[in-house]
Parts: sequence; C-alpha cells; structure tokens
Amino acid sequence: MRCIHSLALAALVFGALISAPGSHAEQSETDSAPQPKDWADLAKLPDWSGVWTPNISDQDARAVSDPIPWNAAAAAEVARLVAQEKAGKPKGLFVNCLPEAMPSWMLITHNALEFLFSPGRVTILGEADGNRLRRIYTDGRAHPADPDPTFHGHSIGHWEGDTLVVDTVAVLPETYIAVSEAVGIPNNGDLHVIERIHLVDAQTLHDDLEITAPHVLTKPWKTTRILFRQRARKYNIVEGVCLQGSFAEGVGKRGQAIFVPVPQTPWGNPVIRDSR
Amino acid sequence: MRLLPVITQSTVLKRAAIAWLVSLAAAMSPALAHHSFAMFDFATTTVIKGTVSEFRWTNPHVILTVEAAPKGAAAAAIWSLELTSPGNLTRMGWTRHSFKPGDRIELEFNPLRDGKHGGAFKKATLVDTGQVLTSNLRDAEKPGLK
Repeated sequence: MRCIHSLALAALVFGALISAPGSHAEQSETDSAPQPKDWADLAKLPDWSGVWTPNISDQDARAVSDPIPWNAAAAAEVARLVAQEKAGKPKGLFVNCLPEAMPSWMLITHNALEFLFSPGRVTILGEADGNRLRRIYTDGRAHPADPDPTFHGHSIGHWEGDTLVVDTVAVLPETYIAVSEAVGIPNNGDLHVIERIHLVDAQTLHDDLEITAPHVLTKPWKTTRILFRQRARKYNIVEGVCLQGSFAEGVGKRGQAIFVPVPQTPWGNPVIRDSR
Repeated sequence: MRLLPVITQSTVLKRAAIAWLVSLAAAMSPALAHHSFAMFDFATTTVIKGTVSEFRWTNPHVILTVEAAPKGAAAAAIWSLELTSPGNLTRMGWTRHSFKPGDRIELEFNPLRDGKHGGAFKKATLVDTGQVLTSNLRDAEKPGLK
C-alpha cells in the first residue's frame, strides 16, 4: 500500500515538474514561470491587436431584436424605470462611478477596449469609467471553490480554434444587467456568463454572450456585441478616471495645485449656475 | 437699541450667496461623476448662439459652458453642455484646445428634459473660423478609421 502511495506521489511530482504554465496550472497553487514555448505559442493565437470600438447603434438595436427574458418582477421594474426615464427623471445606474461590471460593461459601453495576450491569460482593458479590466485565465485552472464575489467576477477561458470561450461566475449580486445607463436590474446572485469571442472578418469582433441569471431571467439571454478594430494612434487607449469629473482644478492655501469638489446634481452632472 | 437688523445691500448679497451655497450643498452628491445621459431629450434639438465661458476637458465627460440668450429671452444665461470622454473626442478630431473662453459659437444640443439650462452637445460652429465640431460616436461605427 505504501508503495502505491509512493508511486502516486512520484507521479504527482513528475506531473508538476512537466506541467507547462499554459496547460496544467490548475493542479498547482503556484504559477510556473512562462517558458520560451509559452511565449511562442501566443503567436499561434488570432490577431486581436489594436483598439476595439463598440458598435453602439447595434447595442441599441439589440435591445429590441434580442429581448431580455425578464421574469415578471424584473419586467415590472424595467417598465417602471423606462417610464421614469421618459418622464425626465431617469435612475442613473452608474453615476456613483462603481464599475458597470459584468456583463454590463460588455453590453452598454460606449468606450474602446483592448486585448492583451500573455502566457496563461487574456486581459481586457477598457478606457473610460476608471480604466476597467478583466482577467481571463486560460491556463486550464478551474473556478475557485468559493470565490469572493467581485464586479467582474472570476473568469476562465479556453480557445476553441480561433474562438475564446470565457466562463464567468462570482459577480456581485448588486451589479446590473443593464439595458442602458437608466434601465437595468441587479442580477441578484448566481449570475453565470458564457462568452464566445471571435473575429467575423479581419476587422470585426463579435462577443456572443449567454447570460444566466436565475433570480431575474426566466431563461438564459443570448445576445451579441460587435466591436470594430482601429489602428490609428488617435484611438490608443487613454486614461479614464471616472471620479475625476467630481473635482475641478484649484489652488490651495499655500499656492499648491489641488482638486476641489464640484457641486453636482443627483444625476452626477455639474450644478448649472444659470442665475447670476 | 435696534429691534430689527438693518438690512444693507451687502447683507442681501451675503444672504443670497449663502442661500446659493446651501442650495448647492443640497444638490451636491459626492462621488457622482459618471454623468448619466438619460436625462436629456434626444428627440429635441435646441439651437443657441453664445460665448464660451469654460471648456473642461475632463474624464469621464467633457463639459462646455456657454453664456447665451435663447431667442426671445431678455437676459443671457449660463448653459452647461455635456460631451463624451476626452478619449472619444480625440478620436473625432478634438483637442483640449478646441474651445477657449470668449469663442463665439452657434450650438446645437439635446436639452435637459427638466427644462434647466443644459443639454447633451450635438454640434458647434465657431463663428469666427467657421470650424464645425461634432461628437456623435454613432457616426464613427466602422473599422480602420483614420
């Protein structure tokens, strides 16, 4: 019996020794250093370089063409929010500068994003609203058994040909499944998002999303978001700090440059001084 | 002994200033900087002529402040226009110097639904140079833009 244990242990140790960072990292609590082959393998992945800008008109159109299967309670709340918006008193879902989170970042953003490939990982970097980022582990690991909920959740991915398949769980229940900046419903927990991200032609990327949210949807919602590739340098991602607009440039008591809070409306707009 | 305080013009001004600050404090909501665009009426376009008083090139949304008298109005008022981010505007040919205080402009915007003096910027023409600036991201929905 001891002999069998020793053999099993030896096999485990051998397995750990030969494991490449891009393939068997889920067996280990430690990530191996990338080897030359891991870097070389990145060149075999599809070219997603450049900056990607969203097709906003298509986002708008899909609110109609890909209706969200809200349950009765969520549908009633959506109707209330739509009416509130039409009455000129919209609920500003994101005026507090918290992240749009998953999946709303992908669904309603008007801002550019970019993809970075590194051994065992794909990273998505966004521009405005605080330079959001998503880490998608492609090293073969599983989701943690009990992940801490976060705005963008825990994402693992794998390549099926030239398609990156991403599985995301552990998103904070308070974050929205948003139709717009004014209409959205908190996912209420147990959110699961599967994405298939792939080029449809040399310059157009599709993110096919399947969103499961059992507390607010009657069935998984399938929709697609379209991104266009830009290579002109004026499209390079720049800094976008969401809270910067809450402050103006001022001068402190000792003549130093300081930030001064700007009075704002409940919608996050600067208060208009229209009477002098 | 005075039973009633003497109200001077200076006192009135001070009180007005304090009242304005109090109203600002009441309207002030800290940490609300992602301005929602949902309060604008995109079915309506308003046109005014005025003078730029401030151009704030700041994330997440650029703010243009214009002093203008709408048609038929007796007095000029301050109008606050919101735009998209500096990054998005840069891609549409803007810079942080696109407007400077004193520039005379003709302005088109989608007004606030609540009737206050503000809106979502659509288009501006600089009166002195004829330069036209627009900011509709939906006009730039294709790959490989220059």
